[in-house]
Amino acid sequence: MNHITSLIFQTWLQFLVRYRRTFIGPLWIVVGPSLFVLTLGLLFSQISGAKAEVFIPHLTIGLVVWTLVSGFVNGSTTVFQRSRAQILQGGMNLLDVVFVDVTTTVFHFVHQIIIIGVVFLIFHIPVTVYALVSLIGLFLLFANGVWLAVLFGIIGARYRDLVEVTQAVMRIAFLVTPIIWMVGEQGRGGILGVFLVYYPFYHFLELIRAPLLNNPIQPLSWIVVLSITFSGVFLARYYFKRYSGQVALWI
Amino acid sequence: MDIVAEGASENKARQPLIEVKNMRFQVPSIKAKDRQLLTNPLSFLSDMYLSRSRRKIITILDDITFTVQPGERLGVLGLNGAGKSTLLRLLAGIYQPTEGELHVNGTAKGLFDISLGMNQEATGLENIYMRGLQMRMSLKEIKNLIPEIVEFSELHDAIGDTLSTYSSGMRLRLAFSISTMVDPDILLLDEWLGAGDERFRKKISERMNKLVESSKALVLASHNTQLIRSLCTNGLVLSKGRIVFQGNIDDALEWHLKSL
Repeated sequence: MNHITSLIFQTWLQFLVRYRRTFIGPLWIVVGPSLFVLTLGLLFSQISGAKAEVFIPHLTIGLVVWTLVSGFVNGSTTVFQRSRAQILQGGMNLLDVVFVDVTTTVFHFVHQIIIIGVVFLIFHIPVTVYALVSLIGLFLLFANGVWLAVLFGIIGARYRDLVEVTQAVMRIAFLVTPIIWMVGEQGRGGILGVFLVYYPFYHFLELIRAPLLNNPIQPLSWIVVLSITFSGVFLARYYFKRYSGQVALWI
Repeated sequence: MDIVAEGASENKARQPLIEVKNMRFQVPSIKAKDRQLLTNPLSFLSDMYLSRSRRKIITILDDITFTVQPGERLGVLGLNGAGKSTLLRLLAGIYQPTEGELHVNGTAKGLFDISLGMNQEATGLENIYMRGLQMRMSLKEIKNLIPEIVEFSELHDAIGDTLSTYSSGMRLRLAFSISTMVDPDILLLDEWLGAGDERFRKKISERMNKLVESSKALVLASHNTQLIRSLCTNGLVLSKGRIVFQGNIDDALEWHLKSL
């Protein structure tokens, strides 16, 4: 436990130092998404059928969660390379490095929660006890961030192609995930429905977004997210056991 | 060298600090072609799951057997590329041996690349905390050591400035002071550390000697034969990843100098 606190403190220190030369510090994390939500929210609620009070909260939560997801995925492939000095000096082991990296991404996310709060206040969105379910979804997403960093970190250290792949994929994934568009009332029956069934990012997002907006969660979403989490942890453990000794050679 | 124990209570102390038996260390050589998915998309899969034969394996260390007893100071000699640095990194636990046994009893700490991993945007003080936490020290321990570090590095008020404003001498002084703030059981040195002006070099030399004194064992890889002669009790000569001689330091140095 003591070790964990020390790692968290270390992350926090690095996090603050990164914004040392700016005026508003880590609040810059909030500026980008806020502008995005403001512009796109106003524009899309004009040109599409959805009302602003429905679309903007949908967009905001989607965007903030997506920033977390893409932070995990894109960060995972280079996690060990970026901490090369610490690993080769022998001070930090690979899991420490993963923990610090995942926590940094979570710190970013925590700042962006402010935007969701503000949007909820503006549109008077009622928050029920059911909204707490999204914490479970969030926790599952964090867990996935950890195994992803271990697995992709190892593969990405050996094959530098992986970082290019994830960056390319995540850019498209942002557009095909229902963030800047909404699944229609009868959307699940059409061609989109088939796609969304097989699209894991959608299920992760739904577990977090649906409870906050007081929408029901499909049982399928739980099944998909839980099976991805368990198989991911299993796979990452296997790779870690087998290849962790060689990571220091690859970075 | 044998340390003769007197009495049963010394039994634990007699246990070797480092025990290496038939250790081999191999690394896969990564050919540029191997990594290009474009030229051979299947290599990605076959490399991971099927044929290992296509990757060339280089043996960096082979058949390494030695022990380091408490109080022993081992000098590792050898030409460039003999495997000295790799051996130290293996002892520090950064690399894992491919085959054979490696037991390290106690904390082994290497002073490798001490200037790496410093944060340029952070102040000297923040860097002390970051590096201290990375060395698995508690906040309280670090706090207690800060006055000593500030004094030793002679940074005084500059400790609150960001590292990017430091001169290279100041950076080295800070890096050295931070890296040497804990005494490990086993000290691993890849070349002797020395930095700064004449006066500071003397301070460094004193601190290094103190570190060597307080550690239970030392493994020092160096090309400086004079230094090795003055510090080490035993010697080990490496050539192309194999031990070609081990024994007391004078004999080892003689062997090494003859083979040059």
